[in-house]
Amino acid sequence: MDKKIRVLTVKVGLDGHWRGVTTVSLILKNAGMEVIFGGFQTIENAVNVAVQEDVDVIGLSIHSGAHITWVRKFVEELKKRGLEKEFILVVGGAIPEHDFAMLKQIGAHDVFGPGTLPDKIIQSIQEKVKKKELEIKDV
Amino acid sequence: MFKEEEINNIKAEKEKWVENTSCQKDADTYRLTPSGIKVKNIYTPSDIAELNYLKDLGFPGAYPYTRGVYPTMYRERPWTIRMFSGFSTPEETNARWKMLYEEGETGFSAACDILTTSGFDPDSPGVDAEVEVGTGGVPLYSIKGVEALVEGLPIDKISVALVTEVTATSLSAMYFNVAQKRGVPLTKIAGTTQNDIGTMPLSLMCRDSISPDKLLKLACDLIEFCTAMKQVPKWNPINFTTYNCREGGINAFQEIAIGFSAAIDHIEELLRRGWQIDDFASRLAFHLSADRNFFEEIAKYRAARRIWARLLTERYGAKNSRSVAMKYHVQTAGSSLTAQQPMVNIIRTTIQALEAVLGGCQSLHTNSYDEAICLPAEESVRIAIRTQQVIQEETGIIDTIDPLAGSYYVEWITNEMENRILGYMKEIEAQGGFIKALINGWLYKEMRKAFNERQRSIVEGKERIIGVNCHVIKEEERHVPFKTNPWAADIEKERLRKLREERDNQKIAVLKDKLRRDCEKNKNVMPSVMELTAEGATLGEIANIYREIWGIWELPIAI
Repeated sequence: MDKKIRVLTVKVGLDGHWRGVTTVSLILKNAGMEVIFGGFQTIENAVNVAVQEDVDVIGLSIHSGAHITWVRKFVEELKKRGLEKEFILVVGGAIPEHDFAMLKQIGAHDVFGPGTLPDKIIQSIQEKVKKKELEIKDV
Repeated sequence: MFKEEEINNIKAEKEKWVENTSCQKDADTYRLTPSGIKVKNIYTPSDIAELNYLKDLGFPGAYPYTRGVYPTMYRERPWTIRMFSGFSTPEETNARWKMLYEEGETGFSAACDILTTSGFDPDSPGVDAEVEVGTGGVPLYSIKGVEALVEGLPIDKISVALVTEVTATSLSAMYFNVAQKRGVPLTKIAGTTQNDIGTMPLSLMCRDSISPDKLLKLACDLIEFCTAMKQVPKWNPINFTTYNCREGGINAFQEIAIGFSAAIDHIEELLRRGWQIDDFASRLAFHLSADRNFFEEIAKYRAARRIWARLLTERYGAKNSRSVAMKYHVQTAGSSLTAQQPMVNIIRTTIQALEAVLGGCQSLHTNSYDEAICLPAEESVRIAIRTQQVIQEETGIIDTIDPLAGSYYVEWITNEMENRILGYMKEIEAQGGFIKALINGWLYKEMRKAFNERQRSIVEGKERIIGVNCHVIKEEERHVPFKTNPWAADIEKERLRKLREERDNQKIAVLKDKLRRDCEKNKNVMPSVMELTAEGATLGEIANIYREIWGIWELPIAI
């Protein structure tokens, strides 16, 4: 049996839209993943939890409109600690398609905007985790 | 309303009609509304045989207010066009408000940024000002910001809504001080503070919030100060904002039941303080949603007014007609809008605006078509205002009051809605009331259940959303989103730096101690908060005193 994918879902900053992140958390849980719901965290704490819980994936939920800045700061924190290759970073929330390319360039592995269907999120996470495992084996 | 014999004839004729036509029997033709009400293919007088016109409907401006709260309704004065608006800096929001006013807006409404609504300053520890200041609304951290927001606007003539909850006492005090400075006495200013304790814990998580029972205390302090103590008598010190819960996926009857249950907790607290119901109930207002199902929403408004009138009269013995008449603002449902094919949102919003108007709202915000993507741009907000103006000025819809009354279906579904609202209020009561249901996590579970069910029905295609799960366009043109000012954080930090340099910090320290004592002794905080904000104390500083004295609440949310 495959090892269960471990995901940390978290909100950074003060943006308090909680239902998106809980819904996606539940979707991933129902898809057989182990989900750690982090609630509100500072970036530093979120990365701490991700390390301590040994997760494969970090899911950031952002509804404030400031997704580019937050993702940039998050990736900077990962780089600072030499962890940028450690996690699959996915971002979801009220994010216009317009900004998807930019977020991916900064370091998000995938972005889920309004109206994304659950299967797409599950599939994307499964594929990316698998791909990363293969890469590690190759090394 | 009908004679028994006539009802029997109608029933007999209907049976014949069913037999003689290809039409199916009721049981086979039910369609479910989003609230789960079974709707038949046709309604007749037999469905509302028990309806008593004078007892259940009456006249507008008269008990039980089913047909509207004012005798003249929109014939004398149409509802207030009140657009929820704010972004970047107070100055930029002020320019937008002036544009809205010139386009025909008749009331202002401040959308505040997350720091303002949560009670943080841009320089508070752990706050990333760069991403939070002015991105979700207007930053109003001190009296200086509020001054800049309403600069040059006729606040003596036009009402202003301050949409904030946890920081309601401080922001209201700042506004009251600004009005006085501008020479407008507190007895003259009109407006509303949202002051809804359900919004932050239930609809949005608030970082470092005090607990719901302390939020209730502060909310009641503002009601007591403005209304009961008659300090700001034309101000609505609270707006039970069921809109925000509704956006989380609950249905129409849950929305009203949650709002009324919250109102009951406030009423009980104010009665406990020794006030009479008519000392404060006239200014308890609501902020409701206009969601997707046209008739169900209209029924919701009509049923809500009837329940409120009976509740206030029968349970609380209110005598003042203003206490008994339920007044409310409506916002069209943001959650019904899609990022895909955004122009379709104009049509959704128009239909929802019609629900609000046919339901008898007192003021209305129509969403802009780009709101599933970004804060609204000028062009889109103009169309949103025009939507209301078309209804007011071109269509004749407002020529007569409550035009849908007497429709067999509308009266039937109004009754259905009433029963369901009352039933759900009992469920909340069984949890110990609104505050208890919030603290014990029951309301979160209800919201999560509703939201997940809705999500499932969208995925399964049971709920059709044009552009998302049906009528999809393959290659959509990308909407270029409106962006807020990237320098807002620097501007606001500088505003606070200057303020802290100019103000009398010793005096503020003394006043802060006074507020600490008020909190400890459970006194009304408003007099101290009025003084503090006048002297230049910031939202974050005042919120920190509440946190310091009362502690921080852990939200009972789990997945």
